[in-house]
Amino acid sequence: MKGTNLGELEELIMLTVGSLFDEAYGVAVMDELREKTGRDLNISAVHAVLRRLEEKGLLCSRMGGSTNARGGRRKRLFTLTKAGKQILDQTIAVRTTLYNSIPDLTFNFSL
Amino acid sequence: MKNSNPPYWADRFLRWYCNPKFLEEIEGDIYELFDRRVEKKGHKTAKIKFIWDVLRFFRWSNIKKSNSKYVNMNGTLLFKNYIKLGIRNIKKNLVTSSINIFGLAIAIAFAITTFIFVDMQLNMDRFHAKGDRIYQITNFMEQEGEDRRWGDSPLLLGPKIAADHPSVESFARIEFASGSVKAGADVFDELVTFVDPTYMEMFDYPMIYGSQQILYDKNKMVLSKEMAIKYFSDEDPIGQELSIKFLNGTIKRFTVGAVLDEFPYNAGLRDDLYVPIENFFDLKLRENYDWSYLTDATFVLIKEGESIESIASSFPEYMELQHSSNPEWKIKSFDPIPLYQLSLTSWQIVGSVSGGGHPGGRIALMLISAFLLGMACFNFMNISVVSATKRLKEIALRKVMGGVKKQIVNQFLVENTLQCMFALILGTLIAYFLLIPGFDYMIPQMELEMRSSEPESLVIFFVSLLLGVGLISGAYPAFYISRFEPIAIFKGNQKFGSKNLFSKIMLGLQFFLAVITIVGSFVIADQSMYLSEKDWGYDPAGSFSVYVADEEQYEQMRNEMIANPMVQTYAASNYLIGRGVPLRSLEYDNRQVPVRLIGVSEDYFETFQLRLKDGRFLTDQALDQQTAVVVNEVFVKEMGWEDDPINKTFVYDSLRRTVVGVVKDFHYYDFFSDIDPVIIHGLDKSNVRYLSMRTDPENVFELEQYAKTAWHGIAPNDPFDRVFQEDAFDDFYRENSTNITIMMIITGIAILLACLGLYGLLSFNIQGKLKEFSVRKVLGATPKTLARVAGKQYSIIILISFILGAPLGVMLMQQLIESIFSENQKALSATPFIISIGLILVTMTITVAGQVRKAIKINPADVLRNE
Repeated sequence: MKGTNLGELEELIMLTVGSLFDEAYGVAVMDELREKTGRDLNISAVHAVLRRLEEKGLLCSRMGGSTNARGGRRKRLFTLTKAGKQILDQTIAVRTTLYNSIPDLTFNFSL
Repeated sequence: MKNSNPPYWADRFLRWYCNPKFLEEIEGDIYELFDRRVEKKGHKTAKIKFIWDVLRFFRWSNIKKSNSKYVNMNGTLLFKNYIKLGIRNIKKNLVTSSINIFGLAIAIAFAITTFIFVDMQLNMDRFHAKGDRIYQITNFMEQEGEDRRWGDSPLLLGPKIAADHPSVESFARIEFASGSVKAGADVFDELVTFVDPTYMEMFDYPMIYGSQQILYDKNKMVLSKEMAIKYFSDEDPIGQELSIKFLNGTIKRFTVGAVLDEFPYNAGLRDDLYVPIENFFDLKLRENYDWSYLTDATFVLIKEGESIESIASSFPEYMELQHSSNPEWKIKSFDPIPLYQLSLTSWQIVGSVSGGGHPGGRIALMLISAFLLGMACFNFMNISVVSATKRLKEIALRKVMGGVKKQIVNQFLVENTLQCMFALILGTLIAYFLLIPGFDYMIPQMELEMRSSEPESLVIFFVSLLLGVGLISGAYPAFYISRFEPIAIFKGNQKFGSKNLFSKIMLGLQFFLAVITIVGSFVIADQSMYLSEKDWGYDPAGSFSVYVADEEQYEQMRNEMIANPMVQTYAASNYLIGRGVPLRSLEYDNRQVPVRLIGVSEDYFETFQLRLKDGRFLTDQALDQQTAVVVNEVFVKEMGWEDDPINKTFVYDSLRRTVVGVVKDFHYYDFFSDIDPVIIHGLDKSNVRYLSMRTDPENVFELEQYAKTAWHGIAPNDPFDRVFQEDAFDDFYRENSTNITIMMIITGIAILLACLGLYGLLSFNIQGKLKEFSVRKVLGATPKTLARVAGKQYSIIILISFILGAPLGVMLMQQLIESIFSENQKALSATPFIISIGLILVTMTITVAGQVRKAIKINPADVLRNE
């Protein structure tokens, strides 16, 4: 099923949302991603992914309070849902298991 | 940080497309980014990036899908209510509704008629099953310096093409000849059509009796139903005989082998009497049957799956053949025309065998019906908007009770479409019972009936008419009215109608169109009347002519006629003015001058009362009869002899001719064609064809009876063919008066529509202003003042539309006239304007007067007591 697997960008953005905790809105997520991964995304792409994840039930959102910074416009703040957290755990677990099962020989590049 | 706003339009665009649910966050984010970029990278980059962001956000998930904040409102349940209300409203405002419906109905009726007319013209000859593979081979020849398309083609072209090209299934030629058909004691002149036997197989005329192969027997003939009834009344004519006397005197008998049924309405080729073309060769009607002779038409039928292009390669060869045998009339190129296009192009073809009108009439008719429909739609819009003033409270209440804008729009659209439907039904009835039979009667050569080439196209036309008119005229009122806010209405602030610019512009437009139509119609009518009163260049009253076959008949007939004292003068000629005089070519000064030659005896000038301008007429002296000529003014001008044409000479037909006199120009054919140079020369007696006589105009019919009796004694085998000179232009006059009638009808409809609009608008306006009038009256206003107040704003609109519309109407019509009459245009006079202004003023006054009277007659107490 499509909803149960995370795409690479989706995974990155979920991780970012998780790491930003309560300060995760469009621009912040974009900035964080650029800083951590060097990826330069357009803001509209970030929005699209965030909305898609929310529709899948992996993120939830609420409107933040209004500040002067954006002409009084509120931010939509995203947080991980329980299901989101679970899926992240799963994905990371799968990766770790797979990674750990790689024999050490493989890394012995100097051979 | 000044001037740090993102581009306004980009932001507006975002707000326009963006789903309001997401707008705040999206806008917030890109504003934040913008501010940051202004600081880091400067204003310009930030702006560009902002625009880029806005564009990037333009995706399906962000776009707002519906105008309404309320989703899933089910409007269909209300339709029954809308229809009920619509009918109630029509009943309640019976006068204005019927004006609306009636006006629209008339315009629709006209549109339907136009559609049927145009549809018929565009779909001629479609009933021939093989029609898509039939082509007529036309050709271009140079005449009078310009290339003209001729329907005639070399006699041997058809057989040659069929022999050379396997892609050609068959060919058929048409050759016309006149013949005198004798049935019992009666003799009639008929146009005999010689055709190849394949003709009846190629074209699928429905037949009552006989088969399509009958013409392979060269003694058989095919008659049209009309002909069969004429000669054999209702009997079965198969096996009956008719004898035809041809122009060279040969008489041949034919047996009727087949009878065609009545021609389908869209038959472009309609001939009455067909005989096999072999007889044309046998009868020796011509001297040489080779490439030099041009027959009237050649049709080829291409095999299925083949194209007409396959024969084009041989055209140069055929041209070569034709050039070598007829170097005088060289064909410049051949051009096949598909049968279906034939009647559409026939106005461009010289000597076309197919009927078909000038496209000018078609275009004018379409333009006019579009104008009328436009006017009726404006009317409709106007009255719909204004009539909604009475229903403001209903609208407001609907909104308060939870109705949304969309529902109000739907309601008005339904109501308007309902009225359009009534109009459509009424319009169809008007078209069916009045307009179509009317046009059918006025244009005799046209069989107009309610029908179309394909039933679907008529249905599509009706549905699109209903939807088009309904939506166009209903949409504006619906959207305009549904915008009002309930609060404003209940508070009484929402007033419109009296100061509504839109309805004024609509009224202005309507009058603008009306003025164009009216002025245009009058310019045409004026031109037509001018033509009907135009001088013929001679005096036709009291002169009448008899056709004679040869000199012997002429002598006998003349002797009989001069015995009658009623004959004042008589003359002989080879061609008759009014029946057409053939065009010849005169070589002079190394150029070709087109001329028309008439051979006459010396009393011709007196018999027709031609007017002498200079010199003298011909006399009976031998010299005059041989080399002296009288010419017309156009001839003098063409030769450049304006100063002194008398005694100038030129060579024609290897004789040196001397001009002895000049006559004023006269119309030898009709007013549509230009007058060519005319040469009147002495008549070689053996060529005599007409005996013309002059008598007192009141005796002319008596003389005709006398002549008829005399004729039957002299030539019982030939028809008595006589021409009253006054009837010479009869067809022309009939067509002309038809034009005038049609224009008058159109003008009438245009005026009616404009006045209906004015009446409807005014009646509402005065209704709304009753209080104002009452107060004015109480304060002592005279009826005159009241009338001025009521009518003032409309007169200004009408004045403006007249100033704009009149020149445009004149311009349009002038162009039309120029395209139809190359000469003989009447100079533009003030009459059409004066008549149009007068007409508009009178009808307007009548329209306004009734309403103003209402305003003047009101009892102020009735109106004001509620305040």
